[in-house]
Amino acid sequence: MIRLKDISYVRLGSSDLETAETFATSCLGLEIAERGRKTLYLRSDDRTHTLCYSEGDPHQQTVGFEVDDEDDLQKAAATLEALGHPVHAGSAEEAEQRKVKAFIGFSDPTGNHIELVVRPERRGRRYFATRDAGITGFSHIGLNSTDPVRDERFWTQVCNARVSDRIGDIPLMRVNAIHHTIALVRAPSAGIQHINHQVESNDDVLRSYYFLHERRVPIVFGPGRHPTSGARFLYFKGPDDMIFEYSVGVDEIEDEATHRPRQFGFEPPSFCMWGSRPAGMALPDHT
Amino acid sequence: MSFALASLVASISYVRLAVRDLDAAARFASDAFGLQHAAEQDGEIAFRSDNRFRTVSLVSAERDGGSVGVEMWDEAALEQAAGRLAEAGFLIQRASQKECERRYVQDAWLAKDGSGNSIDLIVRPQQSGRRYFPPRDAGIMQFHNIGLLTTDHARDLTFWKILGARVSDWVGDIAYLQIDEFHHRVALFPAARSGLLYSAFEVEGFDQIMQNSYFMQNRQIKILQGPGRESASEQIFLHVQGPDGIIFTYVHGMAAGAEKSRRTRQFPFTHESLCSWGSVSTDIPEFRVPEDRA
Repeated sequence: MIRLKDISYVRLGSSDLETAETFATSCLGLEIAERGRKTLYLRSDDRTHTLCYSEGDPHQQTVGFEVDDEDDLQKAAATLEALGHPVHAGSAEEAEQRKVKAFIGFSDPTGNHIELVVRPERRGRRYFATRDAGITGFSHIGLNSTDPVRDERFWTQVCNARVSDRIGDIPLMRVNAIHHTIALVRAPSAGIQHINHQVESNDDVLRSYYFLHERRVPIVFGPGRHPTSGARFLYFKGPDDMIFEYSVGVDEIEDEATHRPRQFGFEPPSFCMWGSRPAGMALPDHT
Repeated sequence: MSFALASLVASISYVRLAVRDLDAAARFASDAFGLQHAAEQDGEIAFRSDNRFRTVSLVSAERDGGSVGVEMWDEAALEQAAGRLAEAGFLIQRASQKECERRYVQDAWLAKDGSGNSIDLIVRPQQSGRRYFPPRDAGIMQFHNIGLLTTDHARDLTFWKILGARVSDWVGDIAYLQIDEFHHRVALFPAARSGLLYSAFEVEGFDQIMQNSYFMQNRQIKILQGPGRESASEQIFLHVQGPDGIIFTYVHGMAAGAEKSRRTRQFPFTHESLCSWGSVSTDIPEFRVPEDRA
């Protein structure tokens, strides 16, 4: 079993790094960790980076998960190869680009690019936001799935993810105490459906709603509240149509042994208990 | 009285709202906003929002100009307040038995503040033995506070100070008046007109503020401002427009706790002081700040 400890970073291709930087700093509120000729590293918490843009095709999207040590990494590589997933062993140069000690890359059954990393770097100086969005850290992703039932099996049986709740056939899966780190989203092809950052308070969600609205950033869902995780949320669109989410108050699963996933119907109140409706963003199961 | 303020006021007990179209206002109050229809007498429709027999009455504008009911601590406080107001030159007269019955109270003095707003000083407003049962799940807990328009700011402030209120904070010349442990129960808004600006009802939580916001949007009922959060009182609010200029407001989370040693703070008259989240109202003239005119 591949033991994921936490989500580590997202890497996105970008055809326009300047636009990506403007949005990340003036709208999203991330800190620039490092700016290369063809790369942009962004911080959202104690880690050296949690989001990296590099010049290239915006469809190139990768998500990194942390595993315990190099021993676990080798075991994971063996497990994946035995299942027929080709594994790319990261070179030293590639590891340096990711600011990790070592990593492997592979594709999940839908074809999402996944990396498993060891010892992702932290930075001594704290995260200092470019705008007061109240971000406390990068927390989870929505991940496209062409077959959520099959992919749930991959994440929960090949990896150690656990289902916290389901909406229809869509699992919200955790790899630690946080309600979900991976939310599968039914989609026709691979990709990252949204990138979540946690914020400090309800105030931050509402303040950002008015702030982004005024700046004509498309708000695609919310302000709202998920009845599953309890989180208050706001989804909005960034460069290359990538959806970002702010949320606060996500539940923690306190008792791993006794938690049973709840089943929610596939209907709008299962996504927002306040009554907000997605606009310009498909609900996860729209096929 | 355990509270350190020398307030003669126990609570803001009710609002009687003068409307031209009683039926339309009644539909808004119950079907949309979630108040419970309680009684009808003499063409006044009474609504409940908590354990009190009624906190809102709709009255025909042809008959009556409406009023705000201010519950005094006891009969002694009532007489004392009435005496002091008369002494200070405010119009005030004892309510007849008929007027008391219309107001569901045992005794009252009917006063006018400096702007001509009708303020009923009352004692022993009726409670109800049955709990409040709303027509829809808006999450209303209680009638909580009001916004009053004032054309004579100094005089109106004197009126409330005689009743024992203190200014907890200023936003420009908007005065938040404290009469109990809550940041304010009355807010005085300098205006070119008099009357009641809004009546605010406390809901259970932030969830209900947001649910009501989407409820109103879905029914295409105009939200005049919000969801927002007052910087001074920390109260989360949603101002909803009803017929005939009625504004009903859902609120939650007002700062409380008797900070008797805290000095009155001055906030500038800006959008940020009125809402720390960034909501703006362009429809309420008294909420238009200098930066709008710039």
